[in-house]
Amino acid sequence: MKLQLKQYYLFTLLFSMIFLYSCDEDDAAPAEENEEEVITDIKLIFTNKADANDKVEAKAKDPDGEGTKELEVSDAISLKAATSYTLTFEIMNNLETPGEDIGEEVKEEGAEHQIFFSFTDDAFSDPAGNGNIDNASDKINYKDTDSNGNPIGLITEWTTGSNAVSNGEFVVRLQHQPDVKTSTSTATTGDTDFNLKFVLNIQ
Amino acid sequence: MRILFLLISFIIINSNIYSQNDCSLSVNGKVLDNETKEPLSSVLIRVDQSQEFAISDEEGKFILDNLCSYNFKSIITRVGYYDSIFQINEKNVTIYLSQETVELNSILIIDEKEENVGIRSISQRSINIKDKNINPTQSLANLISSIDGVTFSSVGSNVEIPVIHGLYGNRILVLNNYVKHGFQNWGKDHAPEINISSSEVVTVIKGSSGVRFGPEGIGGAIIIQPNLIKLNNPFYLDLGTGFQSNGNGYNFNFKTGKGYKKFGYFLSADYIKIGDRHAPSYSLTNSGKEEKALNLGIHNHLNNFDIKMYYSYLDQNLALLRSSFFQSGEAISRAISSDVPLFIRPFSYKIDEPYQDVAHHFAKAKVDWWYKEDEKISLTFGGQLNKRKEFDVRRNAEKPIIDLDLNTFDYLLEWDHSFGEGSEGLVGIHYFNQDNDNNPGTGTTPYIPNYNIDRLSLFILESKKFGKNLIEAGVRFDNETSSVRGRETNQNIFRDKFSKSNVTFSIGYQNEVSESFLFRSNFGSAWRTPNMAELYTFGAHGFKSTFGLFRYYIQDSNFNTDRVIKMEENLVSSEKAFKFINEFEINKYKTNLKFTLFSNYILNYVFERPIGIYGTIRGPMPYFIYDQADVIFLGSDFSFKREISKKITSDFVFNYLWSKNLFKNEKLIDQPPIRISNNFIWNINSFWKINSSEISLLPSYTFKQFQAPIAISPKDLIDGSISINQDSEIFDFKDAPDGYLLLDLSWKVNVNDLSFSFMVKNLLNKKYRSYLNHMRYFADEVGRNFIFNLSYSFK
Repeated sequence: MKLQLKQYYLFTLLFSMIFLYSCDEDDAAPAEENEEEVITDIKLIFTNKADANDKVEAKAKDPDGEGTKELEVSDAISLKAATSYTLTFEIMNNLETPGEDIGEEVKEEGAEHQIFFSFTDDAFSDPAGNGNIDNASDKINYKDTDSNGNPIGLITEWTTGSNAVSNGEFVVRLQHQPDVKTSTSTATTGDTDFNLKFVLNIQ
Repeated sequence: MRILFLLISFIIINSNIYSQNDCSLSVNGKVLDNETKEPLSSVLIRVDQSQEFAISDEEGKFILDNLCSYNFKSIITRVGYYDSIFQINEKNVTIYLSQETVELNSILIIDEKEENVGIRSISQRSINIKDKNINPTQSLANLISSIDGVTFSSVGSNVEIPVIHGLYGNRILVLNNYVKHGFQNWGKDHAPEINISSSEVVTVIKGSSGVRFGPEGIGGAIIIQPNLIKLNNPFYLDLGTGFQSNGNGYNFNFKTGKGYKKFGYFLSADYIKIGDRHAPSYSLTNSGKEEKALNLGIHNHLNNFDIKMYYSYLDQNLALLRSSFFQSGEAISRAISSDVPLFIRPFSYKIDEPYQDVAHHFAKAKVDWWYKEDEKISLTFGGQLNKRKEFDVRRNAEKPIIDLDLNTFDYLLEWDHSFGEGSEGLVGIHYFNQDNDNNPGTGTTPYIPNYNIDRLSLFILESKKFGKNLIEAGVRFDNETSSVRGRETNQNIFRDKFSKSNVTFSIGYQNEVSESFLFRSNFGSAWRTPNMAELYTFGAHGFKSTFGLFRYYIQDSNFNTDRVIKMEENLVSSEKAFKFINEFEINKYKTNLKFTLFSNYILNYVFERPIGIYGTIRGPMPYFIYDQADVIFLGSDFSFKREISKKITSDFVFNYLWSKNLFKNEKLIDQPPIRISNNFIWNINSFWKINSSEISLLPSYTFKQFQAPIAISPKDLIDGSISINQDSEIFDFKDAPDGYLLLDLSWKVNVNDLSFSFMVKNLLNKKYRSYLNHMRYFADEVGRNFIFNLSYSFK
């Protein structure tokens, strides 16, 4: 009999605990997150090596991120003939204020990322050719390296040719290559974080 | 119990033939009480299929004479004890008998009865896991897919979701111990977190059971019963282990329990580890899993009360194929068009991104008050906590991309009653509460909002028997309130609160036309509110972008996604289904035939359809929306069991399903193709030291899904050679795979308390892809798998 009473007591205790716990209703919204997945704005900045104030910028913007608004690729890239430029990037998520600098993360995880390029044949005297998207061993002047000594592509150098180019093409592609980036990985290794085509003019 | 006994004796009668010469052997034996070990007198020991018998004396001793061999079955009976069958294969034997309590027996029978009130006229099948030669590492969905009309949809080898008559996910109720399994039941890659090796019986209800079990039972219900915790049951300890060649998997499990006069308990634990599986021609990189399960329960019987409490815990770490995860059209195009997966690495047990890490706690307490011999009032409480984390390949791979805690509580008060002979009824009040919270730190906008659901339901089911006819009817009222708090991608908060009410009904009829012919028919309704993913999904998940019902609107034929719609704007209706299911069963000497015909008409069925291609930073992407339309499903299941000879049984199964979107007059995607199978089971007599042995050979043929929607490759979409818009019909990224023939073999042997099983899945090492596996875009199914299992029972 004693045992039975004890069991009933335990039972009541268990039930009341459960009831108390479940009555704890909340009305909280999910915590604010720094959206690190979305890229909305990409800016290409060509800086004249001889004159740091001579900058040529090109932008691509996906105004609502994952929404259905179309991608806007603004500005053609208009470079001077026979001039050397350094190309750098600004990669942002501007859905939030302040915006999230995704370029910073790409740099931190350089061993998983590489930017590949393709352009109108022989638009540049250095690198010559048409870029390394079609053939990864083609020359690009990468000026940064990851922890394994492989190029990243956030900083590159370009010297335009002496011939004018109008309505040419300049493609940048950031590949995310976790575990698969090597010195021989290509523009089709891994997954694409961005892939943008700009108009290239050289005068 | 008695049916089981008859069944066992039937099998034995049919399987033993003895030589008639030299019948002069004799056996000396002794019968003891299993618990007290006291000798038992007046026990009747009969030799099966013979006139020979003996009765034990005061010391429990007996002698059987005129025997033809030392290998026969005996049937042992005594008043107050359970009947048992004993294999005698020695000259001297000791037999233990278990006491039965009359009171307990009637309660157990009633318990079973109560649980079937109102659903007896629905076609249903049960699998007794103990009796079946099963692979303990397989999923629930895989286990029940042997049932006619049931199959599974999967995402690789680890995530398998049950499909009944073409419906799955939120349209199938998964009842763990009669409590709705509370999990993140959305998307195609979330399987119920259930460990089958700790379960005892799994039942599939193929009709709409919305009245009995509540919303979501549109396609049917699956009931998983854990250990039944019998009273007056001797102590047992079962130890098991297994190995499988494909994925170098291994598993351990133990089960123990005992039933005293008024108290019983059980405890079980399981561990499963499997590495990367392999398809016939390559390794499926990142396809392993790790699973830990713990189950315990107690049963206390006090005068008119029965108290049962259960707790179970399951932790799963499930890898998803590395080659299946891409976010850009360019990468997915390459993955889909490649003959072999893009990532193939050497075998490893390591589970990398993408993977899912889920922990599920389940607690249930039930008190039955038997205020009359066959009438009772019961109170059930269920409490569950589901913690799900998902990790994707991304820049912040170490952070979960989905991190959710889901609390589920059930309170159920039921009155099980009878208004006279042949009448049974069940009246219940059910309060259901669910609370979903996002844990911070994912580095991305929550995919699913925080929400609370409160539901109050009342239901009544009554059934009456008139001679050979049974009529049942039921009605249920549900009122459900949801409170939702989410974030938009710019981190603005959105909120909504809405209520839905619904009346569900069911009527059924069963007629035992003759001893060998039975007919059952049921017409029932069920409903559900679209789930949170269908309402609030926003944007990319993998390569395609999908917008939930509340995340888009069309204004002046322009498609907009710039605000979150509220329920009060009345754009979304609940899904309502009407399922009519009929079953004809013929049971004649040596044959059992079951033929099921069904139709399911669903209003406001939620499905995904394409709306167009949009440019994104990653390149062009196809966009989809959730939409609603009325649909119809028609089909039949056919099962034919036959005793070919005394030792060989054949079990033929055929499934057929046809479905249509009535609004757009188009096909539905991901519907099960036609499948036929025939299981040949060969029972072998005991020989040498082996008590029993069973070999089964299962050929099955799955046809190509000829009702699949058109295929448009991602490449054609991206380069613009095929354009899609809001009026485009639904399409798939790849054609339905060809039909395939599979062969499975299994052999099970019992040597006293030791049982050994050997199975070969995909014996022919067939290279194939299953239409219902979402990994079919990227890789073949797993190849040949040798599975060994060994278990020992201490009694």
